[in-house]
Amino acid sequence: MIKQRKKRNCPFTEAGIIYIDFKDEKLLKKYLTEQGKIIPRHTSGASAKMQRQLARAVKRARHLALIPFVTDFTR
Amino acid sequence: MAIYETVVILDSLLPPKEIDEAVERFSQIITENGGTIRKVDKWGKRRLAYEIQKKQYGFYIAIEFEGEGNIPKALQSEYNYTDSVLRYLTYRYDKHQLRAMAKAAARQSALEISSAAAAEEASAAAQVEEKAEAAVETEVVEETTTEPTESVVEETTTEPAAEETPAEETSVEEAGTEEEKND
Repeated sequence: MIKQRKKRNCPFTEAGIIYIDFKDEKLLKKYLTEQGKIIPRHTSGASAKMQRQLARAVKRARHLALIPFVTDFTR
Repeated sequence: MAIYETVVILDSLLPPKEIDEAVERFSQIITENGGTIRKVDKWGKRRLAYEIQKKQYGFYIAIEFEGEGNIPKALQSEYNYTDSVLRYLTYRYDKHQLRAMAKAAARQSALEISSAAAAEEASAAAQVEEKAEAAVETEVVEETTTEPTESVVEETTTEPAAEETPAEETSVEEAGTEEEKND
């Protein structure tokens, strides 16, 4: 039996975003897990084009200490 | 000619005068190498997401400029030479960003045209509205007279609570670091 995956539309295209700015850390945080990892495409539904842009934006923001590389939950 | 932007994180403990001097120096390098500055944007002091050189805060500066590929190289050597630079990023605007900029500019100009047309209409309408506004203003004045007394009371009550919260945060942070050490 083939698993049917729910069809998702690209959240960026729907919001009319054509360029993801790395300075907008609030937007980027929506596409990061709690640990600070980038959420995969099959979960967020982002198009390949936007996912590439997102990855670049996240990496730039991390370099400039706008968002963390990792957030540890060591207890 | 391409559009670039360079973002620099300076030591936040630098006096404002030296920050201005640094901005001046970076701008000079751009212009000396045949570039033109489009925008200088000081974001100000911000908390870093992680420590850089044992520092919690940094002073962010963004300079947008137009020029050739030799400028990023010149800037890089200057940044490496300057000790107060914690981090830097110089990047070229890609096609997506340029498209977004063009779109924003088009929207802006469209707004200006429409606002200019609207201003003419508004001036005509304003005369009619003035009478209505005059009536509204009297109401507003009444409201403002009553508000200050209330707000003063609210401020006094909220202040002690605001003082308490930072103290709690620091204690939580200390506890967190101790736990990490234990690991």
